[in-house]
Parts: sequence; C-alpha cells; structure tokens
Amino acid sequence: MRSWRTKRESRGLEAELRANRPEPSSELVHRLEARVREDGSHSRAGSFRVAFAGALAAGVLTALASVGGLGYAATGAGQAVEKAKRVVHQHGVTTVHKSAARDQYGKPKAKKKCRAGTKRVRGVCRKVKKAKGVSFRRPPFTG
Amino acid sequence: MFRVDPLANPEPLIKRVYAYVAYRVGDGPDAEDITSETFERALRYKKSYDSRKGEPVAWLIGIARRCIEGRPATPELSSEYLEASDHRDLEDDALRRIALSGAVGRLEERDRELIALRYGADLTARQIAEVQGARTNAIEVALHRALGRLRATLEGEDDSSTPVRKSQAGR
Repeated sequence: MRSWRTKRESRGLEAELRANRPEPSSELVHRLEARVREDGSHSRAGSFRVAFAGALAAGVLTALASVGGLGYAATGAGQAVEKAKRVVHQHGVTTVHKSAARDQYGKPKAKKKCRAGTKRVRGVCRKVKKAKGVSFRRPPFTG
Repeated sequence: MFRVDPLANPEPLIKRVYAYVAYRVGDGPDAEDITSETFERALRYKKSYDSRKGEPVAWLIGIARRCIEGRPATPELSSEYLEASDHRDLEDDALRRIALSGAVGRLEERDRELIALRYGADLTARQIAEVQGARTNAIEVALHRALGRLRATLEGEDDSSTPVRKSQAGR
C-alpha cells in the first residue's frame, strides 16, 4: 500500500518537474536560433559550391560520353603523349645490325684456334698422330 | 558519406539545454549565459559530432556540463529568489515552480545533476548512463533516491512554509 502511494507520489513529482521545467526567454531562443541558422547557411553555401562544381564536371563528362567524345579525347591524349615521347627521347648513333652489305663484307667470325699438337678435323680439334719410325726431313737444297 | 547536422532543429535543443542548465545553476541570466556558451561551442566543434555516439541533445548536454564545470561555483540557487518572491503577488503555480526549483537547488550536487539530466534535458536513464559513464540500473536507483530526497525537501518546506522562507530570508 505504501509503495503504491510512493509510486503515485513519485509520478506526481516527476510530472510536476517536467511541467515546471525552467524555460528560456523567447529572446534567447530567437537569438540562438538565428545564430545557428546563420552558421548553417555559411556552411551550406560552401558545400553548395563544391556540389555545383561536381555536378558541372559530371554533366560535361556525360555529354562527352553520349557523343563519343570520350574516345576522341582519349585518342587525342594518347597521340599527344606519343609526340611528347618522340620529342623528349634522346637519339644515339643508329647501328644497323643486319644488312646485305654486312653479310658480304662483314668481319668473319674468328675461329677458335686448336692447341699445339692438334689439328681441326671437320670442325673439331684432334690430336695429330705421328707414324712410328717415320721421320720427316726437309729435302736438301739443290740450288 | 553524409554528415548529420546536430543543430538542424535548434529550438527544442535550446529549450532542453536551458532547462538542464537552469536546474543546475538556477533560472536566470547565468543559465542564459551558459546556454549561449554551450551553443557557441557546439557551433565551433560541430564537425566533431558523431551520430553513432549518441543523439545531439546528449552531445550538447555534455558540452553544457563542461561549461558549468568551468564556471566558478555558484552559491545556493534560490534563497535570494525566494526572498524576493515573497514580496510579490505571485500565482500558485508560479510559487510552486519557485518552490520546486528552490528544492532542487538545495539538493546535493549529484542529485541535482541527475534531476537536471532527467527532467530538464529530458534524457532517458540510458542516455544519462552514457553521459555519466555509469550503468543504467545504477542511474535508475540514484534517480529514485534523488526524487525521494527532493520530495522530503518539498514536504519540509510545505510543513513550515513561511518560517522556512523567513529563515532563508534572514540568511
């Protein structure tokens, strides 16, 4: 019984606290509201500018894409890059590695020399065998 | 990702913040100054508001609390006000309102804070728990006790209505 009464009283007090809540003067409310709105309009103007720039860029891209302008623009940009590369690239001495003249007069490849006592036979160095008992002598000068 | 503007609808927020501050420091110019300061700070740090952490009102109340803590301690709220009101021909509800705010002013700091958060700022027990970094159950219990003490203070005033006021006026 007592707790029920306490609860009722508590609710009454709560309602009273809410109903008698201190209220700001209308002058304060208007002043603060104006201040908040003023600040909000400043930041909104900034974000509006950014949004406008973004929308404009998107519009231009869409318009270009619809008439195939994007491909044209991309090709143009690619060509410009190629030209720039050619201009900037440093050219050295041009050497022709393969030509008819080089085939005919070019320096022949140096063959590997065989060691002493060997002889090239069909492209391979082989030992020269001396026949036993046979000695080679230069023939005498006969004048 | 779009940022939520915590001050998109300022009027109810102003009223709730003011009610909270007035329950804490007393109705009047001090409360108005603190409310203004709170909103100035809120405008300055608007970008720091994170909607995932809580509602705008809880964020503003947090700022208001810091504004109050940063101010020099005020004397008891209502004694001067009650003294002055005795000489006026006020209606019953106005008297009751003054008596109520006087009783809230005579509560301990923690009780006054809880009453201000619950009935001034109109925060739920859960929101108060978030603001104070406590458990919801603990806040509910503390609120219940604070209300009990407020009732006792009011009853004490009602029992000896005139003498209490006279004794306060004599302070």
